Amino acid sequence: MVAMSLYTPVGLGYLPVLTVVNYVNFFTSPQAPIILVNTFGTILLACVITLIFGYPFAYFLTFHINSEKAKTYIISLLMVPFLIDWTIRSVAWFSILGEGGIINYALMVMGAIRQPMTLLFTRNALYIIWVQTNLLFMIFPIHLALNRIDRDIINAAKVLKAPPHKVFYNIVFKLSLPGVITGFIFVFVSTLGDAVTPGLWAGGLQVLGLSVSTYASNFLWPQSAALAIVLLVIALAVLYVLLKIVDIKKLIYE
Amino acid sequence: MAAMDKVAKVYIAIIIIVIYAPILLMMLLSFNTSARPSFPMEGFTLHWFIGEIKGYEYSSYIPVIHYWQFWNALQSSIQVSVVVGMLSCILVTATALSLRHRVVGRDIVFYLILLGFITPGVALGIGNVLMYKMFDIGTSFWSIVFIDVIFAVPFGLVLMMARFDPDLMLYENAASVLKASPVKTFRRVTLPLIQWEVLSAGILGFLLSWGELIRSMWVVRGSGVLSTFIFNQLSVNPTTTRWFAAGTIVAVISFVSLLVLGYLLTRGVKT
Repeated sequence: MVAMSLYTPVGLGYLPVLTVVNYVNFFTSPQAPIILVNTFGTILLACVITLIFGYPFAYFLTFHINSEKAKTYIISLLMVPFLIDWTIRSVAWFSILGEGGIINYALMVMGAIRQPMTLLFTRNALYIIWVQTNLLFMIFPIHLALNRIDRDIINAAKVLKAPPHKVFYNIVFKLSLPGVITGFIFVFVSTLGDAVTPGLWAGGLQVLGLSVSTYASNFLWPQSAALAIVLLVIALAVLYVLLKIVDIKKLIYE
Repeated sequence: MAAMDKVAKVYIAIIIIVIYAPILLMMLLSFNTSARPSFPMEGFTLHWFIGEIKGYEYSSYIPVIHYWQFWNALQSSIQVSVVVGMLSCILVTATALSLRHRVVGRDIVFYLILLGFITPGVALGIGNVLMYKMFDIGTSFWSIVFIDVIFAVPFGLVLMMARFDPDLMLYENAASVLKASPVKTFRRVTLPLIQWEVLSAGILGFLLSWGELIRSMWVVRGSGVLSTFIFNQLSVNPTTTRWFAAGTIVAVISFVSLLVLGYLLTRGVKT
């Protein structure tokens, strides 16, 4: 793939002559800043929203569900939709966000709106779908990290009359940071590589993954390979930075 | 604390409902009389599953049972997934067992394997297709299997590593001290202790390859496997209730294999 990204594009084909023109073309094209901003804006926001919804879930699951059996059931319940066919899951969104979907129907019955809203094929649809599909990736590592916190530390802090928000921030949150970062990596990578959701449900919002697949489906292989390399380098760079902070192996081996 | 417990339960319930909503609503709407899968529903019918074919409909309105392309794709999907399941079963077991020993370069191998699912999906798919193009190999059944295995093995590995019996090494050492041959140790000691993990890794591989789209959409030919087939059809055709019926069938197959997986996993916990 690296070799292909360096081939010279000729018209709609290519010649096996090495060049960096594909990279130069991408970074100097007027769309490049738009695509990059779109990519990072949407992905980072999606990660943060997932974190906001996922963290309380993992926290409640760890500290407020007491029986081990209930915990196992809840986790397996979470895993079921995640493992069902990817395409089926995205098709199913039509029944919720579409013009005749349940949200529009409920709002119209209640009289809040007269005309169905356009929910699908917008940027918001992308956020909703990404958050829903990636929630498990965020919840699971955080739950593992929270589970490993020694309850005695929390109790000690409580005995020493630390206010609840301080107990939470200084002990629980800081000790669960490895889980948060691992979850962040998972969500980041899976949204970065997603070319289908933006194309199918977000009205073709130009993100990097979609550009790669657009080039490829027009058989512009060198260009798409160059973009895919850019994508890969970004993913690895983010990974490297985050791995400096936490040790992913620890979470898996122990 | 009691109040917090209640908040916790409500929150967890809401999130789970949100996560299940799309699939359940899809199943409900697949019984809709109207060809538009939308609320309010006009009435219940099984037409979209087993209805009569009239012979003049546009292809999006043919009931699932007469839609032979769908069944072709389903068949190849099952073939691919079964092969991926078996391969990842073997590969995951071998990798997980060997990674326990402190061999040279263990960490590098571990990261390399993990890379399989950390690489963005599109990049992996395109990279594969380009590889086939450059070496002039046609894409086939095995190229889909290959790309799915790359993706399924890391998942299974993470699952298995976390679930191994902590005393497994101890039993193995005991067996070899008692002069059992390595093959015999593996067959009589190691395998019985990890059999449920091995099986669940296989089923996980099956499910992951079953649902995989972003990676495999680049290497398929013809009508392809199910996920790519549905995606390609939906990119050009209107979403009708028929598609929801097809989706329901696929979802039910996934549910059944998940039930088996769940049963095996809880079995593994008890033993």
